[in-house]
Amino acid sequence: MTNPLIQIDNEVREMTDAEYADYQAEQAAVNPSSE
Amino acid sequence: MATTTPNYGWPVPTSTDYVKDGATAIEALGDAIDATVFGLPQGLKFIKKQTIGTGVSTVNVTGAFSTTYDAYKIIVTGGSASGSNYMGFKLGASVTGYYESLINAPWASALVKSSNSNNTIFEYAGNTFSGQGIYLNADLINPFLAKYTSIATTSGVTLSTGFGVYGGVHQVATSYTDFTLIPSGGVTLTGGTIYVYGYGTS
Repeated sequence: MTNPLIQIDNEVREMTDAEYADYQAEQAAVNPSSE
Repeated sequence: MATTTPNYGWPVPTSTDYVKDGATAIEALGDAIDATVFGLPQGLKFIKKQTIGTGVSTVNVTGAFSTTYDAYKIIVTGGSASGSNYMGFKLGASVTGYYESLINAPWASALVKSSNSNNTIFEYAGNTFSGQGIYLNADLINPFLAKYTSIATTSGVTLSTGFGVYGGVHQVATSYTDFTLIPSGGVTLTGGTIYVYGYGTS
């Protein structure tokens, strides 16, 4: 299984496991409180 | 004997000057024009642009913020997205202290406010639209200064049901030089262009 792609300026590569963990944490950002 | 132009006073040779002095005269004229243009009152000044790759989940743009400007405009246009969702915005490697509110005005119903306190990113800053592209229109204040950074966008919309205005403050007094776009929901980006401008200070 491959990790998602990350782009840093012109470089596109697969995320490292550490970067993927950060990405997953960001995807799980706090849910909104709506009113 | 050199004379000067009537408006900006740039040095120019006269018709009786020696040809052998031409290179020196051109250098002096060029330097004078350069100094004048550099010192003109500035509006938005282009800093850099970044083309988005294929199928990327995050895009980091380095060298965006510097001591030259306090305020910045960041535009993302074109491209395509694998889905419709919010597109987050992160300063440097900071993953704390993002406070944000999105006021969404649906076409067919009442206003909706969505807010986060101490989020890990500016979660609602931009948007992706499947079949339409990538949307971000952001103004940032003080991302480079070691102060809180504010962000305001007009692209914080909820899918295709309405349009919104969005604002947030990153309550961490740290200097940043780069930012990252992070679409929500595992959406990936392909193509499109990120433009970074600085607001002139003189």
